Amino acid sequence: MVESKHPANIAFTIINYIVTGFLGLICLIPLIHVFAISLSSSAAATGGLVTLWPVDFTLESYAYVARRAAFWKSMVVSVQRVIIGVGLNMFFCIMCAYPLSKAKDQFRCRSIYAWYFFITMLISGGLIPLYMVIRETGLLGTIWALVIPGAVPVYNIVLLLNFFRQTPRELEEAAIVDGASQWTILWRIFVPTSTAALATVGLYSTVYHWNDWFSGILYLKLPEQYPLQSYLRSVVIDMKLNNMGAQDWQALALVSDKTVKCAQIFLAALPILCVYPFLQNYFVKGMVLGSVKG
Amino acid sequence: MKKLAAILALVLALSLAIAPAYAEDPFGKYDPPITVHFVRDTDDTLDANFFSQHPDKTMTDNLWTDLYRDELGIIVEYDWIVKGGDEYDQKLNIALATGDIPEFVSLTALQVKQLAEAGMIQPLDEVYEKYAAPLTKEMLMCTGTAPFDAVTFDGKLYALPEVDSTLMLADVIWIRVDWLEKLGLEIPKTMDDLMNVMEAFVNADFDGNGVKDTIGMGISKDLWAGLFGLRGFFNAFGAFPTIWHEDAEGNLVYGSTTPETKTALAKLNEMFQKGYIDPEFGVKTGGKVAESTTADKCGILYGAQWNSIYPLQSSYDLTGANWQAIPIVSATGAPVKAQTEIGTVGWVVARHDVEHPEALVKLFNMFLEKNWGETNENGVYYAPLDSESIWKLSPVVPTYPDKNIDAFLALEEARATGDTSKVTGEAYSILKKLEAFESGSEDGFAMWGWERIYGANGAYGVLADYQAAGLLQDEMFVGAPTETMTERMTTLEAMQDEVFTKIILGEAPVDDFDKFVEDFYKLGGAEITAEVNEWYQSVK
Repeated sequence: MVESKHPANIAFTIINYIVTGFLGLICLIPLIHVFAISLSSSAAATGGLVTLWPVDFTLESYAYVARRAAFWKSMVVSVQRVIIGVGLNMFFCIMCAYPLSKAKDQFRCRSIYAWYFFITMLISGGLIPLYMVIRETGLLGTIWALVIPGAVPVYNIVLLLNFFRQTPRELEEAAIVDGASQWTILWRIFVPTSTAALATVGLYSTVYHWNDWFSGILYLKLPEQYPLQSYLRSVVIDMKLNNMGAQDWQALALVSDKTVKCAQIFLAALPILCVYPFLQNYFVKGMVLGSVKG
Repeated sequence: MKKLAAILALVLALSLAIAPAYAEDPFGKYDPPITVHFVRDTDDTLDANFFSQHPDKTMTDNLWTDLYRDELGIIVEYDWIVKGGDEYDQKLNIALATGDIPEFVSLTALQVKQLAEAGMIQPLDEVYEKYAAPLTKEMLMCTGTAPFDAVTFDGKLYALPEVDSTLMLADVIWIRVDWLEKLGLEIPKTMDDLMNVMEAFVNADFDGNGVKDTIGMGISKDLWAGLFGLRGFFNAFGAFPTIWHEDAEGNLVYGSTTPETKTALAKLNEMFQKGYIDPEFGVKTGGKVAESTTADKCGILYGAQWNSIYPLQSSYDLTGANWQAIPIVSATGAPVKAQTEIGTVGWVVARHDVEHPEALVKLFNMFLEKNWGETNENGVYYAPLDSESIWKLSPVVPTYPDKNIDAFLALEEARATGDTSKVTGEAYSILKKLEAFESGSEDGFAMWGWERIYGANGAYGVLADYQAAGLLQDEMFVGAPTETMTERMTTLEAMQDEVFTKIILGEAPVDDFDKFVEDFYKLGGAEITAEVNEWYQSVK
């Protein structure tokens, strides 16, 4: 792109920076706030004295979290879940997107299959039937209950198949002339040329598996099995103060420690924060691909 | 034929010989042991106070489960355990909806009613009559028949109440006595006194920032909470919002709809106009309002006895603030009654096909006996010196409702006589906490907050006075939620909170209260009142 010196263009660039900078700050400031609280003393945090800079700097909350076995156990479960879940997602996503990306003359019943997947995006069974299916299939209380029900991510399939479609048909035909099977074509030609799209759908499923808390609470039998976000939810949620039973207030005093909450929130967000910059490049590319036909 | 008769006789003799071993003995042991399945929730107190110190212990292998296994022959298992109250409700609702009812489970009165109507749980009156130890019967009845009435349908009892104190839910006023001293003011005795103190606090600028940002009275968006709530304030006017109480004719009336409630609302609006109330209270949670108490921006609040532990402890830690609980004041000159609610935390039911429902009664017997009975080992099973919450390891947790007030009275007596030798059980472990605080220690439970509850000027002193003088207004409707209540009450309560908040903030005139009352009765309140009174007549 050639930089234009036209004043309107300069003005556009400046406004662009201001607006994106502002949007960036909106996302960043809460995170910095949480980080600042996690490094402050408990009393200062409860008093609402902390804004963007720690008050009475201390690492106590991190020391406390470091000693919390439950936090690290959940972290391990979350990592396991992401590895298994994303692995399954990617495998099924590629395996489904490839045939569906073929033209009608190559794959005759294509639209029937496409609808077969697509319809699940429109209609779902609902929570209770889903729970019953998971119970009857014996998945309840295992990590598989968190990864198998969502193993085929239809939205990601649609993204990926649109991307596959843009791979020139000549490439495929040349490979066939050279004697390649469909299997070889998929793994040696389509997958290597689609890293941008794969990174995008990979990131989608990573974020989904990392952030989902509800299924953990619903399908697992013990708090020790919780992935990190389910664990966090039970730590962070405000207790209802109006009908406190028995001696809940003891729990309240204990879990109300804001600094410890914030330290845990920050630590839980950290892995995803670290993954983002590396995939960022692909991510932007992958998102717009498929929208513009070249 | 003779052989058969002989065998029959033998069987009969055998069964007679075995039967007394567990028939109708409240503490009889099962041999071989039986297994019972519960579900439960857990929280951070157990992690922090017990599991972190005993990493080899689990929810199904600890001193309470050992006790039940060794003494009663009952092995406790959990189908699932969930962390957090909200999460427990969600998971339980799904389990109930899919027909996955646990063998034994603690429910709300409404859930008990629904399951009883669906025939999914069994009546427990027979096993309760037969197996409940005298102590159990006495303690569960401590707060009256209310906990039983709530789960009795067609004359049959469907659940055992995990009772707890109603008294400890009554409001007190928490006030900064160090500020009072600085200004040379007395502890307020009437609403007018309280207003004068508020005026003085608001103008004194104790945080010294030169801005008039002190709140007269801390209120959160949860108007009826046991912290930054308004119940105690309304009580000053003889109003008892959100509970059912008797009117002049002896019928039950919903307290939020009475003229006294309107008077109290008008007063709140007046206070708002004088700048005593935070204009943003309608969106602030208790935790958010706590920021102002901690930061020296608020010196008066209505709340329960535990407020000194949370959140006022951090106020003491940060600025050395000194709060004290005082009795709620009267606005009318007449003695003021503090309102309470039913203190039962849950009702435990047995599924319809459970073979040994009496096991539940035995667990209740054992829990109460070990904690508060003749042979109690309270210091081991309930409140060990170095820990809290050990009792939560038991699957059933009925609480002797008067335990805290008894502990306080025992401590008071010891303070009066100087003789601490008679202080035992939980009172003893509290005594140790108070002594630790007085010694200037800063470890563990040596907290200012405990001293403010059980010390010489403690919150329980205020509650003890309420009780002694009979200045309590209990919730009078203690039956299971009625049909219309189940359908409409949530909507009506939401409407009530919205209208009240608007009136306080001056966004609606005080006379909108009359429209609220009209709407309340029109939108189901009339049916609910009729149903409630029908119930009331039936138990009177």
